[in-house]
Amino acid sequence: MEKGIRLGTMTLASLKKTGQFDAVLRSFEWFHIGAEFCENLISKSICEEAAALQALGKKVCLLTPPVSGTGIGLLTSIFKELSKLAGRGRIAQSRLEITINDFGTLELAKRNRIPFRLNSGRLLYDNVFEGTRKTLKVHNALGLDFFRKLGIIRHEISTTGARRRTNFSRTGSDGPGSRKFHLTLYYPYLNLTSARACPVGMTRVPLKGCVNDTSCARECGICSFEINHPAIKEKLVLRGNTIFLDFPDKFYAGEKDLLSMKVDRLVYCPFP
Amino acid sequence: MKIVSCFTDLKELEPLAEAGADEFYTALNKLPAFSFGFLPQNHLRPAIEKAHTLGKPISLAVNAIHSSDFKNHALILKRIRGIDAMGIDAFIISSPYLLEKLFSGKPRLRARLQLSSVQPVFNTLSAAFFYRFGVSRIILPNQLTRLEAREIISFCRKHGIESEIFDYRFFGCAYVNGRCQLHQPGYYSLKTALPDGSLCRITARPGGLVKVKALEIPDRAGELPGLVRRIETRLAVGGAPRFCDATAFFDLALAGAQYLKYGTRHDPTPLKIRKVKALRKMSDLASTLSSTLPLDKARRIFIQKMSGWDGTRF
Repeated sequence: MEKGIRLGTMTLASLKKTGQFDAVLRSFEWFHIGAEFCENLISKSICEEAAALQALGKKVCLLTPPVSGTGIGLLTSIFKELSKLAGRGRIAQSRLEITINDFGTLELAKRNRIPFRLNSGRLLYDNVFEGTRKTLKVHNALGLDFFRKLGIIRHEISTTGARRRTNFSRTGSDGPGSRKFHLTLYYPYLNLTSARACPVGMTRVPLKGCVNDTSCARECGICSFEINHPAIKEKLVLRGNTIFLDFPDKFYAGEKDLLSMKVDRLVYCPFP
Repeated sequence: MKIVSCFTDLKELEPLAEAGADEFYTALNKLPAFSFGFLPQNHLRPAIEKAHTLGKPISLAVNAIHSSDFKNHALILKRIRGIDAMGIDAFIISSPYLLEKLFSGKPRLRARLQLSSVQPVFNTLSAAFFYRFGVSRIILPNQLTRLEAREIISFCRKHGIESEIFDYRFFGCAYVNGRCQLHQPGYYSLKTALPDGSLCRITARPGGLVKVKALEIPDRAGELPGLVRRIETRLAVGGAPRFCDATAFFDLALAGAQYLKYGTRHDPTPLKIRKVKALRKMSDLASTLSSTLPLDKARRIFIQKMSGWDGTRF
């Protein structure tokens, strides 16, 4: 079982300030870095962070969010820089993955022939899987085949705080058959919904008005918020443009349980 | 702009056409479709015939992004082919693998393929990705600024793809189309029964709705009272801020968006008719003003008129 950590809005510099850096390095083999849900958080500095982490012997998964044309521009320069760093030997291709959450990013990666493995992210997972709190099912073999042809065999999902029943052993048309795929499981937060217009940031919006540009002051970095939804029993957690559920309790007896669900990478998220 | 209206009852077609609909779309419960409101299965053939008699194209939404129905994909494909043979004009699809199968399948479908907003296109590369599966129309998600939407519309025009937008006044969810798991329970439990699709719009009085979790950047603690107020206000009036308004509509109509959709299939018939009339009126107003006045003036007057629009009857 591979163990990873998702740094979220935290940079390596801010992680060092917490005094936890060495402990984190010892505990995790994979570092999932970069903006997963919001293109305003895309930063070119991520390339140097990836190189620095690899120099420390770590593997890196670069997360990318849904993107507009602006985000595509930023990712274009990041992909070029990463390829350059790989060419210079500062980044090992085999130890860098890129997770995509937008088909435009996938198109960009293919057009630029980037040399890194691609994963399907938590905002694309619905294209292949169907889930509830207690179940996780592959729609059918076609979804897996579609992504496999695009070079993607790793899919990312969130915990639901429960041991989920799967249809992964089904060999008929309604299961994955013998297709090879891997799952990365993020815990303890499940992303329920994301907006492009951030309810936390986006200062230039009149009280009941509409958004013309998505600029913000990165308010999502300050903290997350607990939302008491009048109709939902569980507490919701709002971080920037995304609402999460929190499932802090351990839900599996051992790694075998997870492996039977095709989960072979566990990624801890200290923050939503 | 042409008006695309939903319908779920044969009897709705004629009054909707009279109200100004140029095209129709519906969904069947035997094929996976996003949201609810379905035409009875045995009414589809007469609906196709009726729409064609009225001189209007008709499309069918098979746009659920995930559904237990997908497990029997062979049956879905077979049903789609059967409906294609009935003479439907287009299928609205969101699943990329279904699009691929329908596009590459032999014999080629007679009907055209439209990309549902439930598979949201936020950039021109995403549009290019789906263009290779033969989509003839892209239905834009509402979560685009007008400048972003204009870029995509321009891409569509260059490639001969039609573009469609939703009427901003009749669109519910403020979160990313088709990815909203707050929309209906599945991962959480309810205190009170509420209709699906309404859960992502919290309607509550501000006060006690939002609590700060652990502070991570103490230097910015001073911003917290203002942030809590902002979040409470926004969540209490429906969620994340909206991108689309009268200004966006006017600009996108001028940018070349060809179709304007109203898609709340479960609305009762009289409401559907009122909404289609409202779409027609808004579209005609934009078109009349922009063809008779200098653009700046037309835009200003349009926004002024639409700001006074009374939504209480809807």
